Amino acid sequence: MERCDVLVVGGGLVGCAAAWHLAAAGASVTLVDAADFGLGASGQNAGSLHFQIERRFLEQGDALARQAEQTIALSRMAIEDWRGLEAALDADLHVVMDGGFMVAETAEQVTMLERKVEREIREGLRMRLLDGDEARRIAPYLSPSILAAGYAADEGHADSRAIVPAYAAAARRAGARLIGRTRLDRLQRVGGGFEAGAGDLSIRAGQLLVAAGAWTPHICAMANLHAPLYPVALLMNVTERSRTLEVPHLVQHVGRRLSMKQTGAGNILIGGGWPSRLARTADGGFDPGVRPELIGDSLAGNLRAAIDTVPAVAGLNLIRSWTGVTAVSADQLPVVGEVPRLPGFWIAGGGSAFTLGPTFARLVAQAIGGTPAPELDFVSPARFEHLNSFMG
Amino acid sequence: MRIERDTERGRAVTLSVNGQSLAAFEGEMLATAMLHHAAAFRRDTRGLERGLFCNMGSCSECMVTLLPSGRRARACLTPVSDGMEVRTDG
Repeated sequence: MERCDVLVVGGGLVGCAAAWHLAAAGASVTLVDAADFGLGASGQNAGSLHFQIERRFLEQGDALARQAEQTIALSRMAIEDWRGLEAALDADLHVVMDGGFMVAETAEQVTMLERKVEREIREGLRMRLLDGDEARRIAPYLSPSILAAGYAADEGHADSRAIVPAYAAAARRAGARLIGRTRLDRLQRVGGGFEAGAGDLSIRAGQLLVAAGAWTPHICAMANLHAPLYPVALLMNVTERSRTLEVPHLVQHVGRRLSMKQTGAGNILIGGGWPSRLARTADGGFDPGVRPELIGDSLAGNLRAAIDTVPAVAGLNLIRSWTGVTAVSADQLPVVGEVPRLPGFWIAGGGSAFTLGPTFARLVAQAIGGTPAPELDFVSPARFEHLNSFMG
Repeated sequence: MRIERDTERGRAVTLSVNGQSLAAFEGEMLATAMLHHAAAFRRDTRGLERGLFCNMGSCSECMVTLLPSGRRARACLTPVSDGMEVRTDG
């Protein structure tokens, strides 16, 4: 029987980052992952550092947009976290934070953008509303059809394939024990702590953090808890390297699903939330462990949105499209904090966890260590506690 | 490195890769001719040599620029032709 202060389940961005923070603060930490580290959403996403209110919040009406304002406080912390991350981890993560645009093409979208930018400025984000010509002066690659753009000075992108290995290495240097390719087969409350196991391996931990992305509900079920996170399957694309087209910013669209950025090698990454189709298990449930099926209409729609926004991408070859699975919560906000029903049981996941992940991980590690993190109150699992009133 | 025995080749052709003259035979793919000449097709942003990886149209590591059209193509799927002009630094 191994013993540790904190057992982290899930070796993605949030899990490895939390393990690093906890170990650096002096806790004994063990992390287990069913596969290798960073193979889920952390390594499959396109690496946007987006701090403007996301389009997915705006399209659901005003109530959700107001909720999204609260995430701006987290975004402001995430800006600081990302600016210091390469130095803190002593790693090249291809972090570029030279600004990002959210563009509008119709009068209706311009109105939506104006209200959004007004909210963001009120909440302290470094934002400017630009008309089309002003945007094109900074970003000449934008289409003449762009009528306006929200410009966030701190937005950008990073290499999603570099971040998890860097966090994992830092966690190991700080003394954490990271165990890959080990799928938990049991998890239960024992005394004041938890006991988890995988075959011959048994671990007794004082506290438990589940940061398993789309697998979080499955891990929580082993402890007889509901977690309101749902797997969603998305599409990402990449073009060949271009030396003639330069897109040094993150580009998003307020009315269409689109995110674009250019890698250091010159490839243009194109995503923005177009769906792919989740695989199913033999008994009919969703299987986040199998690569989702690409949907042709999503591919066409995503590329059309990219070409309408940055016409020069039409001249580039698409070299790869891939699908991946992430998790979204019942109310679209992240779920980060302790489950009131089961003290010592923590969850961190659900939405924007590349951009906000370093901040979630830092704050949840701080809270697990005993110093409350009130910044996380509005994303606490406590808001879903009714689901667990017969569980635990 | 070409098999010389018991094989029939197409007509001998000459192409130009980055201004350098290259001998090949009709029926060969551009990547084959380039590989016969040198293992590295280009250098990456760190100055390291890169060549083709899959040789079956999947990895896109052998993407080249065909002149004078400027069209980008995967060398492994592009048949050679006499007088063909290619750049790898596009």
